[in-house]
Amino acid sequence: MRKYFAAEKWKYLLYTISHPMDGYYWIRHKDRGSVPIAIILVVLFGFSFTGIRLLASFVVNDLDPRNINLAYELLGVLVFYLLICVSNWSITCLMSGEGRLKDIAIAIGYGTVPITFSLVLATIISQYIADDEQAFYTLILVVGIAYGVIMMLIGIMQVHNYTLGKTLLTLLLTFVAMFIIVFLVLLLSNLLGMVYNFFHSIYTELIFRT
Amino acid sequence: MKAKQIVKSIFALLLTAVTLVSMAPEAVKASELPYTTYNYNYWEYIVYTPAAYEPDFSVSGKDLTYNGEPIGPFVTPQDMCVSDEGLIYLADTGNNRIVVMDGKMSEVKRIITTFDNDGTEDTFKQPTGVAVSESNQLYIADSQNKRIVVLNEDGTLARIVSNPTSEALDDGFVFVPLKVSVDYADRIYCVAQNMFEGIMVFETNGEFTGFFGTINVEITLWEKFWRKLASKEERAKSQLFIPTEFTGIDIDPDGFVYASNIDPNGVQGVRRLNPRGEDVIKKGANENLGGDLQIDGTTDYSGPSQFVDVVYRDKGIYSCLDRKRGRVFTYDHEGNLLYIFGGLGTQAGTFKLPVAVENVGNDLLVLDATDAKVTYFKETEYGRLINDAVGLRYDGDEAEAVDLWQRVLYLDENNELANTGIGKAYLTAGDYEQAMKYLKLGMARDYYSVAYRRHRNNFLTENANVYLTALIVVIVLIVIYNNLKKRGIIVTKKKKKGDEQNA
Repeated sequence: MRKYFAAEKWKYLLYTISHPMDGYYWIRHKDRGSVPIAIILVVLFGFSFTGIRLLASFVVNDLDPRNINLAYELLGVLVFYLLICVSNWSITCLMSGEGRLKDIAIAIGYGTVPITFSLVLATIISQYIADDEQAFYTLILVVGIAYGVIMMLIGIMQVHNYTLGKTLLTLLLTFVAMFIIVFLVLLLSNLLGMVYNFFHSIYTELIFRT
Repeated sequence: MKAKQIVKSIFALLLTAVTLVSMAPEAVKASELPYTTYNYNYWEYIVYTPAAYEPDFSVSGKDLTYNGEPIGPFVTPQDMCVSDEGLIYLADTGNNRIVVMDGKMSEVKRIITTFDNDGTEDTFKQPTGVAVSESNQLYIADSQNKRIVVLNEDGTLARIVSNPTSEALDDGFVFVPLKVSVDYADRIYCVAQNMFEGIMVFETNGEFTGFFGTINVEITLWEKFWRKLASKEERAKSQLFIPTEFTGIDIDPDGFVYASNIDPNGVQGVRRLNPRGEDVIKKGANENLGGDLQIDGTTDYSGPSQFVDVVYRDKGIYSCLDRKRGRVFTYDHEGNLLYIFGGLGTQAGTFKLPVAVENVGNDLLVLDATDAKVTYFKETEYGRLINDAVGLRYDGDEAEAVDLWQRVLYLDENNELANTGIGKAYLTAGDYEQAMKYLKLGMARDYYSVAYRRHRNNFLTENANVYLTALIVVIVLIVIYNNLKKRGIIVTKKKKKGDEQNA
């Protein structure tokens, strides 16, 4: 446990954010990252994502708070995280990527930090702006999200030792793989449901006959 | 001793009973109306409100007499009109007559069945529309005689408008006027059967001048794509893209034409046309003037509202009549929904096939064709407060409206218009915190922002001294601290460590 949450891991997280190229390289080759920290960061991202939707000021927020459910959204973020990691791993395995599943998980997880930070900052800033100052709010969000996306891109690139072009190609294929996985899961659950219904109707039939 | 105790307990019992009885709340009176009154809030949720209108009485012609003789029940009446003098003109379509009643519909003033047409006695055949001009001329859409009859106040014929000719009309066009309306310059606006190009306009002399307010057909990109793919035969078979017809017209004192139409998408069921025929209506926050917002479902009762008539009332307020669910939707000049009431049914205050709506002052009349009766709706206190407050806002007296809005809130504490109205008044008065509170409740983002910006400016200017002083104090402290450190009076840990190592 100590190993995963050691102070140097946290320090290295900060180093990765400021030096993504170098940082991700050593995460892959010297195991300087930590998967549990990455997962915690994704959970924090989930919280801040729901947070901005729920708590951002009335001036910038046009969402009905009754439609926002922290539990569902957190679950959604985590499932999406799992899905993107697994599908990226399954694609890069076939395309001579060097990264392991844990490297991918760390690359994505660490990449959420700037986004989380900008979401929290924007939520706070939104309390102090009027409607014609929305540009600040949007700017913070855009910068944060752009930085996060670039970090994730560099992360994937470095852990697999890819060129930028190949990274983009694998990302495209990753999304295709995600759709296939979702499709298969839905199909499976549907078929399992049918099997369950079949046995359930046999059961009810037997119950009614005796 | 015992007797004393008994007396005591009886006294206590009595006291309890008296207290309970006197404290008991009045029996909560359930609404006796056969319909609910509601509105949609900012999030498009249904919010039930107190009744804005309640049915007072209805008239079906059975009890009315004219010159001592009963006039008999109405038969499928299709339209009515209220003149400036408050007389109600009813197009009794099935009986081929026009019935003129007083504002309370208790007395028949006139019955028009015939008129003198160049020496011969002429009658109506299925008159479906009726209108009265400012000069008290009566305009009758005599549908099956395919003409518009204009009668003077004394019942003599002024002119007949028929057989419009124009290059814009097809050769085989048959003019069947359904609804008619007339503006201050005696121009006639007419909704004709199967006339998809718009409202037909006739000059004072009866000459057809053109169409007005044509509703453009919107073809989606997807439909265009399919039409590109389809062969000629397929295209011929497919449904035509025809615009919806207008269903009812009313003209406000400024000469703007309010026209209702049935929108299959439920987005805009009413238009306000300027003299050039352009739609200049304001659609409100949710860009919707189509009646009900929650229209999902697969039953006959679901689907978008179908506006069959519109009446311009006063101060920018207009009411639309929905045939689908028998409801009356009232909007203000900004396109905000004020209240919705009415319904289908057989009880007093509900309709079977509502066809026309009119106003007498702030009271409303709804004509039902199947039941052949006119229902008179009286405004309640709630309705009156909203009407008056909206009227004051229309005139620009927002400060005066505050008192009314406060009373609206007392009856309906979630009323967004009332909250916004009060918030705006606080904003003008300079009480920005109160303004922010009410404007937020009223979901008025723009005004809230104005209030917030002023509140923030005030806060900063008032507290500038404190903050600037604090800043200076902090800077001075840092300078002193650094100075002391330099002189070695304060020894930091790191330095100590270094010293030890050196030693």
